[in-house]
Amino acid sequence: MAPMIPFNASEITEKARRDLLLLLEGIRGKKNLVLEKALAGTLNLLVKFSTLQEYGVDKPFFLENDNVDSSQRNVVFLIRGEKATTVTAVANQIKRLRRESQTEHEFSIFWVPRRTLVSNQLLEEAGVLGEASVSEWPLFFVPLADDVLSLELDDAVEDLYLRKDPTSIFLAAKALMLQQQKYGLFPRILGKGDNGKRLADLLIRMRTEVTAGEAPGGTGPSFLGLTPSSMIDSLIIIDREVDFPTVLLTQLTYEGLIDEVFNIAANQTEVDASVVGGAASQPGQTGSASTSLKRKVLIDPKDQLYSTLGDSNFAIVGNLLNKAARRLQSSTERNQLAAKTTAELREFVAKLPGYQAEQASLKLHTSLAEEIIKFTHADVFTRSLEVQQNIMSGIDPATQHETITELINRDIPLPTILRLLCLESTTNAGLRHKDLEMFKRAVIQAYGPQHILTLSSLEKMNLLQPRGGSGLGATPAAKPGTVTNYTPLRKSLRLWDDEVNETEPNDISYTFSGYAPLSVRLVQSIIQKQTLANIIKPPSDPRAAAQANPLAQGLRIFDDATKYVKGATFDERQAGEEKALKARSMLNGSHNDAAKTIVVFYLGGVTRAEISALRYIGGKLKEVGGEGRGSRIVICSTNMVRGSSLVGSAIEAGRFKA
Amino acid sequence: MSKPTANWEKLGDKFYRKIQLYTAVFDQDLELENYHVVGAPYSGAVAIYRDENKIIAYRGAQANKASIDIYSCAGKLIRRLNWEKGTIKGLGWSEDEELLVVTEDGTVRCYYDLQGDFVPFSLGHGAEEHLVQSCRFYGSGFVALLGNNNLISVTSYSEPRPKLLAIPPSDPIISWSIIPPAYSLSRSVEVILAIGKTLYVVDATEAEDRNFDAGPFRHISVSPRGEFLAFYTDDGKVWVVSGDWSDKLSEYDSKVKTVPKDMQWCGSNAVALAWEDEVHLIGPRSAATKFYYDAWIHLLPDVDGLRLLTNDVCEYLQKVPDDTVDVFRLGSDSPAANLLEASSLLDQKSPKADDLIQLIRPNLAEAVDTCIKAAAHEFNIHWQKALLRAASFGKSVLDLYSSDDFVDTCDTLRVLNAVRFYEIGLPLSYDQYRRLTPEKLVERLTNRNEYLLALRVASYLQLPTSHIHSHWAQQKVRVSTDTEEDICSLIVKKLHGKPGISFEEIAHAAYDEGRVRLATELLNYEPRAGKQVPLLLNMKEENIALDKAIESGDTDLVFHVLLHLRKKLPLASFFRVINSRPVATALVESSALDQDRELLKDLYYQDDRRLDGSNLLLTEALGQSSLTQSLDKLKLASKYLSDSRDSPAQFQRQALDDASKLLRLQEQFEKDLGPRDNAPIASTSSSFIGLSAHQTIFELLRQGHTKRAQKVQSEFKIADKTYTWLKLRALVNARHWNELEEMAKAKKSPIGWEPFFNEVLAAGNTRVASVFVPKCTHLDVKERVDMWSKCGLLVKAGEEAFRAKDRGLLEEVRGKASGSAAVELERLIGMLPAGRR
Repeated sequence: MAPMIPFNASEITEKARRDLLLLLEGIRGKKNLVLEKALAGTLNLLVKFSTLQEYGVDKPFFLENDNVDSSQRNVVFLIRGEKATTVTAVANQIKRLRRESQTEHEFSIFWVPRRTLVSNQLLEEAGVLGEASVSEWPLFFVPLADDVLSLELDDAVEDLYLRKDPTSIFLAAKALMLQQQKYGLFPRILGKGDNGKRLADLLIRMRTEVTAGEAPGGTGPSFLGLTPSSMIDSLIIIDREVDFPTVLLTQLTYEGLIDEVFNIAANQTEVDASVVGGAASQPGQTGSASTSLKRKVLIDPKDQLYSTLGDSNFAIVGNLLNKAARRLQSSTERNQLAAKTTAELREFVAKLPGYQAEQASLKLHTSLAEEIIKFTHADVFTRSLEVQQNIMSGIDPATQHETITELINRDIPLPTILRLLCLESTTNAGLRHKDLEMFKRAVIQAYGPQHILTLSSLEKMNLLQPRGGSGLGATPAAKPGTVTNYTPLRKSLRLWDDEVNETEPNDISYTFSGYAPLSVRLVQSIIQKQTLANIIKPPSDPRAAAQANPLAQGLRIFDDATKYVKGATFDERQAGEEKALKARSMLNGSHNDAAKTIVVFYLGGVTRAEISALRYIGGKLKEVGGEGRGSRIVICSTNMVRGSSLVGSAIEAGRFKA
Repeated sequence: MSKPTANWEKLGDKFYRKIQLYTAVFDQDLELENYHVVGAPYSGAVAIYRDENKIIAYRGAQANKASIDIYSCAGKLIRRLNWEKGTIKGLGWSEDEELLVVTEDGTVRCYYDLQGDFVPFSLGHGAEEHLVQSCRFYGSGFVALLGNNNLISVTSYSEPRPKLLAIPPSDPIISWSIIPPAYSLSRSVEVILAIGKTLYVVDATEAEDRNFDAGPFRHISVSPRGEFLAFYTDDGKVWVVSGDWSDKLSEYDSKVKTVPKDMQWCGSNAVALAWEDEVHLIGPRSAATKFYYDAWIHLLPDVDGLRLLTNDVCEYLQKVPDDTVDVFRLGSDSPAANLLEASSLLDQKSPKADDLIQLIRPNLAEAVDTCIKAAAHEFNIHWQKALLRAASFGKSVLDLYSSDDFVDTCDTLRVLNAVRFYEIGLPLSYDQYRRLTPEKLVERLTNRNEYLLALRVASYLQLPTSHIHSHWAQQKVRVSTDTEEDICSLIVKKLHGKPGISFEEIAHAAYDEGRVRLATELLNYEPRAGKQVPLLLNMKEENIALDKAIESGDTDLVFHVLLHLRKKLPLASFFRVINSRPVATALVESSALDQDRELLKDLYYQDDRRLDGSNLLLTEALGQSSLTQSLDKLKLASKYLSDSRDSPAQFQRQALDDASKLLRLQEQFEKDLGPRDNAPIASTSSSFIGLSAHQTIFELLRQGHTKRAQKVQSEFKIADKTYTWLKLRALVNARHWNELEEMAKAKKSPIGWEPFFNEVLAAGNTRVASVFVPKCTHLDVKERVDMWSKCGLLVKAGEEAFRAKDRGLLEEVRGKASGSAAVELERLIGMLPAGRR
């Protein structure tokens, strides 16, 4: 038996695929598929359209377009059922189709990831519940890479921080619970942030519920499933609210910049066709082909070239591309020349497809990088980056106001401005009242009165607020734990690194060319204490480096740091029954010291730069003799997030009409 | 001890045995002949009810009350169901020991436990009109015959969907039977009807005449697995036909004039005919044997045999299993028989024991197996022991033998003997037990309220016990007369912390019984908050339900409760309920924003959330399609805040008023200037309306309406810097180079001159850009040199460097130059004295 790996990406993908195909198989004959736009990317990631066709899918439609036709008798809806609006939309379309169509349709609804009571209620009220056969597609985690699992809840940020709707916390808990049932409990759950605490509480609560609800008959595996896992080290939950600045900053890794410039959704990005040129179009896209000259490009984490590029700072991507190009050239050319014997020739020919793929990938990334360079060389980009870097390094933010005002006057895109303002507010516990009003007025005047709503939403999300809380101004200094105080943190966690090395990274600060993301530092303070301690307080004697740095004891850094960070801190241990524990250790043999999995869960989204930083730590942990003993880090999140989408969830899209 | 073969009967070359299970089964007063008797499969309970067509001695009003009585096989009354719901036309059991009662009007009641709780459903398909005549049951369903010869089939009791089968001819039906779907060729239920002289086979699609002429057939019986069909003809003959109708296997002449009252299969090898007190057992090749009783006899068929029930005894008639025959048959010289003999000799300390063992040595393993199997099939404890002892003895002689079967059989026999005990009355045979499965056996015990035995069996066989516990608790809350506190504490004491216990189910039972307080109390112990919600809603405890839903973290549940509340409560109380619960409020807000704005307005008003209320009005203003409506809404939004004195509200009010002002100005411009052409902001409407203040100024300047632009500037107190920027960008955008050059004549610019240079250069006009270079006096030489170079004016760049006497820079510029510029630059370098230093 192959060793079980918890949070195994391919296993999860395979299961999700099978589940869906089984559901499709359950409906005889050809069918039209109606899906939510938000699910299209995910679906494409899991199942090829050609496979769907094999399973009888005739034409795909988007729910949002409300255009499903009556060409097939079977109509299948693939929809997330948590929101009342989508449920109502489904009900309306069923009603419309029933009214308009001559044929008698068979409706099926696959709720993702679960069938909800509310959906039942709403469908019943609409009078369509009886007509549709309802099932669920339990799709929780969607693997984006081997070590990145996302719930792909696009609304998570808006729901959590603007609308305070905890649905995503519940779904996250469910998803984690499924993993726990399979691989055992997280022996330890710790983290930071109020929503994170809620998630941890839910997990603990669900554990008792699962024990209580254990189906009679299922004695074996589930009983063992609810003992601490021997393969998982811990679950670290980071609430996005704890660390908004990291999202607001411009990501400077290659993947991060692709995301900033072109936006990545479900490992796909849309790039102007002129940029990528004649790259082979991907047949079988789910969804209708866009009429514009945009081309979808798959950012494949399994691509060999990309895997070396993605996590690097953009500053060195040019070099890496250069190197790759030369290697490719030399390996093809020299081989051609040296291929003397037929055996060698055959070997070379066998490698050719690999070379071609690599060449295609090289071409794609070179053109992408070129496009990004254009972006980064723009004056606006450098100016806003300058402001970001100054704010993060702790310079008095008031000095940056002039630049921000100028950027507003230059009418640069609103999200960029909002990112800067929010960055200042979140790192300095709010803006001074006077400044805030000035900027608010400026934004309203520059971008339109509809942004009164935008600003108020940002304030609700605690992204842009007056110093001292949003109260009457009479409130004295904010209570500890309600805001993050960066001044002590910069020192105690060494958030700013002046000697950043982008080429040969020696610290996670390379991802932002100086700033070490707070969230990752917190993770580091738990799983890589020794290294972090040495970074914060380099030992006087280099030989003593290996010795215990007093800072590295227990959770000292973590405890010290979290005092200054907003939100609840929690640290729970999940113990199991002794007997079961023994049974498990007997079953699994004694590979107790072997590589364990550390799960880092970002509630409210994770940025690509943070992933890179965590991968960097993961790489260090794996090194022989490192303190991690070969641990593996798996990054889970509710969704992928970038600065523009964070502030974007607040931006009011409407405007006054004539 | 009597011989094990004492109750054996030879039938052809096979042996049958009649095992006396229980004696003194029924009260002697019970006139069993006047009752219908049906037994549940796998030696389950027996239900009897009085045959309405027969006259019965009047015993006073009390005894005359109609009822269905459920007895165990040993005659212990399990339950009496008082019956006043109409004429019963069908009574039967499912394999899960659910009692089905079909009344004449087509109502089916499924008593899913033995406690008298039932789920009713109706047959439909004209059953009310034509009335049900009779029913035939099988493991998981039944078929009902209506007065008009229509047949209705029900295949599942959990989700009953009565289906009409094909319509047979409407001639009177003499007798009928069914082949269960599991054993029919078509895998769906088939009905055999005896009509006239022939037989019809009916399934869902067709009624097929089998073209027999030996009828009329008085009885039809299908063997337990559908392999054989038996027919009793009018002239007293029994025909046996194979299940696929291909062969007629045997014909037996009973030579009796009266038609038997019943004909049933005994296992799959023999047919039993029953008259009032006489049973004929007919085996293959017309071999037959007869049993006589002194009381009315009922036949209860089972999968591997036949139970015979009279007032006095309950007997089990089955073919003797082969293994048992092997061991016990008179004169058997099989190894197993020898092993048994050896074992008994060993008990007598006879040395012959060893001789015997040596004799069968080569077949010893087989002998042990046979003994174990025979023990399993044995009902008599004495012989069970003897056989097991023999097996154990044989085992000990063998070098290598897996004892698993032996251990299993011991376990099983212990359980079987326990449930066969007369107080329990489940005389399961070994085969029945295997088919029933231990889990189902535990369930049956639980349904009989034999909790202690159920728990013992479950723990002995390592089965989960949660179901037993919760059944016990449910029963407790239903029938216990203790005070509610006592019941609750007793249940909690026993069950709390046990895995798999659903307190919600127990609470539900209590609630159904009308014990609301107890239900509430018990519900508190349910660890799954989500589970509690539906019951709490039923109990009209909405507030608690809401709290529990929030506790569970499942927003779906919260939302569910909220929808419920919203429908039930007046608005004011609804708000009161959600007010103290932030999660609920958030959910209401977020869903109302999409669906029910009015609700949201009321909510904000009640909570005095002025800012949110005004924001909502602003949202609505944005949604309006005409400007006047938008302005009205804006005014409302602003008025909403008129009472608030705090600074955010003040600011918001100001901003809203500004917005109205701006819109009015824009409206004015629109009127004055007409629709603009080629709007720079593509894809938006080509009008001023909806633009921001900056965009308005930009647009005005672009179109050259400087006065108006200035008016907007002063109206909104827009800073000079900003204005300059806007002007610069607007002019560049409109390519008004002259005006830009005009601007360059000004002494000072609020934003310096560098932006001018950059913007113009970005627009591609190097000539105009160069105009601004000399004005950037605060920049250092190198930057200015760069600027010149960017304009392509290398000579100017050189001059700049020359003025600063910077040789290095000059040479750098020289490097870029060519042609005449190069010469000129060369000259400048030459003029520079510093180089020689």
